[in-house]
Amino acid sequence: MATAREKPRPLIDNLTRPFWEAAREHRLVIQRCQDCRYFNHPPRSVCNACHSAALTFEPVSGRGTIYSFSVMYQPNVAGFGDELPYLNILVELEEQPQLFLVSNLSEVQREQVRIGGQVEVYFEDVDAELTLPKFRLIA
Amino acid sequence: MGALTDKYCIVGVGETPHMRPSNRTTLSMACEAVKKAMADAGLEPRDVDGMTSYQAGDSTTSNHVATSLGMRLNYSVDIFGGGSSTEALIGNTIGLLEAGYCKTMVIFRSMNGRSGRRMGGQAPSGPVPPTRAAEDNQFMMPWGWTSPAQRFGMSAMRYLRDTGTTTKSLAEIAVAHRYHASLNPKAVMRHPITIDDHQNSRWVVKPLRLLDCCLETDVSACLIVTSRERAYDLRQPPVFIMGGTGRTMAPNSAWNYSRPEIHYVAGNYGRNRLFGMAGISQKDVNLISCYDAFTFTTLIQLEAYGFCGKGEAGEFVKGGRLQIDHELPSNLSGGHLSEGYTHGVSMVIENVRQLRHRADDACPGWAEGTHSYDRQAGCRQVKDARIAACLGWGTETMSSSAILRGIAA
Repeated sequence: MATAREKPRPLIDNLTRPFWEAAREHRLVIQRCQDCRYFNHPPRSVCNACHSAALTFEPVSGRGTIYSFSVMYQPNVAGFGDELPYLNILVELEEQPQLFLVSNLSEVQREQVRIGGQVEVYFEDVDAELTLPKFRLIA
Repeated sequence: MGALTDKYCIVGVGETPHMRPSNRTTLSMACEAVKKAMADAGLEPRDVDGMTSYQAGDSTTSNHVATSLGMRLNYSVDIFGGGSSTEALIGNTIGLLEAGYCKTMVIFRSMNGRSGRRMGGQAPSGPVPPTRAAEDNQFMMPWGWTSPAQRFGMSAMRYLRDTGTTTKSLAEIAVAHRYHASLNPKAVMRHPITIDDHQNSRWVVKPLRLLDCCLETDVSACLIVTSRERAYDLRQPPVFIMGGTGRTMAPNSAWNYSRPEIHYVAGNYGRNRLFGMAGISQKDVNLISCYDAFTFTTLIQLEAYGFCGKGEAGEFVKGGRLQIDHELPSNLSGGHLSEGYTHGVSMVIENVRQLRHRADDACPGWAEGTHSYDRQAGCRQVKDARIAACLGWGTETMSSSAILRGIAA
């Protein structure tokens, strides 16, 4: 993709590296508290629920529900000009209420988007260093 | 009632014209706004010994402004922030004045909001340059999700679905604020619009259309706060600060979406404190400023601050309820949607002018408080305006507020 290098890229840090490394391997992992089992996303230094620092990343199913969405028409974001209008979704993962990821819905399913739609993750390899989890409708 | 209710007053207001572009530095604009506010109050530079401002790494600082104007300050602090900062700094200010850190304090914002740093990171001439998204932004921006319109659009979409509200309710807000702008000689967008104009305007971020989005302008705007004892000697009728809140958070504020309901916004957590401190109820409020970065932010704040029930704002705004001469006039200057963009301070300024009965409109005697109340003739003074609520917004998870009282009615 000619514009991939212009798009915003993650500044990966020690806290977030496991998420991005797993994505490179086409696995979705979310930080989880080993004391109270609460999932935290984005990753945190201490658990949002119990404040424990015993946090590791665990695989999740990659299935969830579209909680909300928005459709971008404005050429604000470098590298996205050719994709307008594009769709952002807020996915509520099935593992926990309000466990949200921001992502995109598969291009070909843009017309079918709806709140409550069931989705599953797929992985888009942007280049050798970066893979983005994205979602497609399954119901 | 709050311990400091009515003890401190807003005594001076001033601003530069809204420009696109200003071709000026933020220091130059800030000096003009502060000088105008001092002149409005009848204060000299030696009378001001405190200054505070808010910014996003895009503006001058208090010490530069004070130095330029020949002031020596006893207190000066500049904070980071955008919307929701004005009312929060009013709270800081009355605490500092009460504690004796200074006697009279300037609050200002100066920004080249169109020609300089734009919200969402967009460059003046086009898309953002390539960027590395740090911290929580790395879980948003790589998917092309960067701007306030996208963030708030996500919340708006869910709100519309959960409540059955349609975008025609958003249109009511755009129409009301534009109508008020048509009565404001300072406003950038002054031609009235209709519900249909809103519905026919282009999408920016669905469900938000062009006429749901605020302007971007280059401007500086300023308030001056002092004790009521000093206020009585100054040039304008004092406007008393009855109560407020400062950057009240919703749970899990850092990540915008992890809380029980996406549209249960921060104002819900602040409203009892606000009205309790002021010692009044929503029914006592004659006019509001309701932060309109987008029509949706105004809509949701009406619920958050209890002017209508949960899920009822879409019905509440219908029939022109937010327009002058109706039940709850909102953003009498035209707000950020139609007057211009200041990250909130201009909305408080307008409320101060309304409570003085000195809205700077087409009435020849406005400066003396003489108004015709003839809207056709360009009068935008709210009749019998006594109490105004300022409802500030930073994000869904951050809100500040203030209730002001005038005695000039």
